[in-house]
Amino acid sequence: MTYKWVGAVLVVLGCGGCGLRMVAEQTRQAGLLRQLLQGLEFMESQLQYRLTPLPELCRQAAGEVGGSLGPVLRELAQRLDGGEAPEVSACMTAVLSSHGELPGNLRRLLYQLGKSLGRFDLPGQIQGLRTVRSACQQERQRLEENKGERFRSIQTLACCAGAALVILFA
Amino acid sequence: MNCAWKQLMNILPPRLRGGVDQLGRETMEELRLRLGSPPEITGGGKSTWLPGAVTQEELTCVVNAASQYSPWAAATVAQGYLTAPGGHRIGLCGEAVCRDGKMEGIRQVRSLCIRVARDFPGIARGAANLPGSVLILGPPGWGKTTLLRDLARQKSDTFQVSVVDERGELFPQCFAQGRRLDILTGCPKPQGIGLVLRTMAPAYIALDEITAEADCEALIHGANCGVRFLATAHASSVRDLRERDIYRPLLEQKIFSEILLMHADKSYTRERMAL
Repeated sequence: MTYKWVGAVLVVLGCGGCGLRMVAEQTRQAGLLRQLLQGLEFMESQLQYRLTPLPELCRQAAGEVGGSLGPVLRELAQRLDGGEAPEVSACMTAVLSSHGELPGNLRRLLYQLGKSLGRFDLPGQIQGLRTVRSACQQERQRLEENKGERFRSIQTLACCAGAALVILFA
Repeated sequence: MNCAWKQLMNILPPRLRGGVDQLGRETMEELRLRLGSPPEITGGGKSTWLPGAVTQEELTCVVNAASQYSPWAAATVAQGYLTAPGGHRIGLCGEAVCRDGKMEGIRQVRSLCIRVARDFPGIARGAANLPGSVLILGPPGWGKTTLLRDLARQKSDTFQVSVVDERGELFPQCFAQGRRLDILTGCPKPQGIGLVLRTMAPAYIALDEITAEADCEALIHGANCGVRFLATAHASSVRDLRERDIYRPLLEQKIFSEILLMHADKSYTRERMAL
């Protein structure tokens, strides 16, 4: 009988843990998007006022944002320095393939950033960055919307799923 | 492999490197890449065509490699060219971006003309002792810039020489520099001349291609300050030079006392300037 109770508690705790993990993942995604936004704003201002070349720009942005996004931008700068591919998007694709830990929505935005970098004219280049920034803001807004309610729902659902499993197995 | 040539190879698409290296290493003056057409190598008065049509990706590759993926960072793109590492000039043609009637850059490139920069130390030895200002004359592609480069270097063995190099083509990193040579790059010639006059106290100022009235005014101002010039201009002879209105103030003020006239075989002869 005691084993049954212990098992039931473990199942409920396990499911609750899954819920917590999902909440933590969404919080991490929001943090990464905030870093990306910060990086994009930095890049845009550098382009407008200093015309910093892309490899140096990416290196400076990496230092500016830090966190998990810093190494991504730093690796992109290295690949651009080495002239590894004819286009920035190809360099970005190579960088993303070596950073499998990044969430899907951030990967999509970074790929879009790669596509928009390396345009030949400055107005087009700045417009490209603005488009990515706008997409990033929308994504962040989506994650921030009803954040508290959604997190509570996820945790409640996870605990209920655990309880349902306990009842099924009992 | 020569450093400037190696840098040229680095900016070319991998498909073209072998052919260009094989056919153009010694004599290539220009490489022309046109979208959808085979690459053309010109040099020594003849053209050679490489197999295969040039693609948009290959044109993009050259521009990106020459500009560190940032063509907009080079102010010269608004004038239709880029200076690649090694001092090679890349002329751009395609869809331009204009604002208020002024060209701001290139949106899409359709043709490139890569002019190879070469260095032959010692070719100006015969002209190194000319005492006054020297003007090198010749049509495009006859070696004016190459001669100017060495003349500035030779002069700098004895004098303080400032180079006002708007395009960054005269003394790229891999070319030998002179003993007393100060190089200002990326600055328009009139402002550059004023700047080095104020700050570097040169005996000579070297500049490539006098093309505008503002350049001539700056030269006259500099000459009035007691500095001598080493310069180049597009003209096939002294007579041709005289017929061009833009150079008239320079001739009237007797800014240049010596003329070096380039020939098609890249040799030069000396002529005294006389009105």
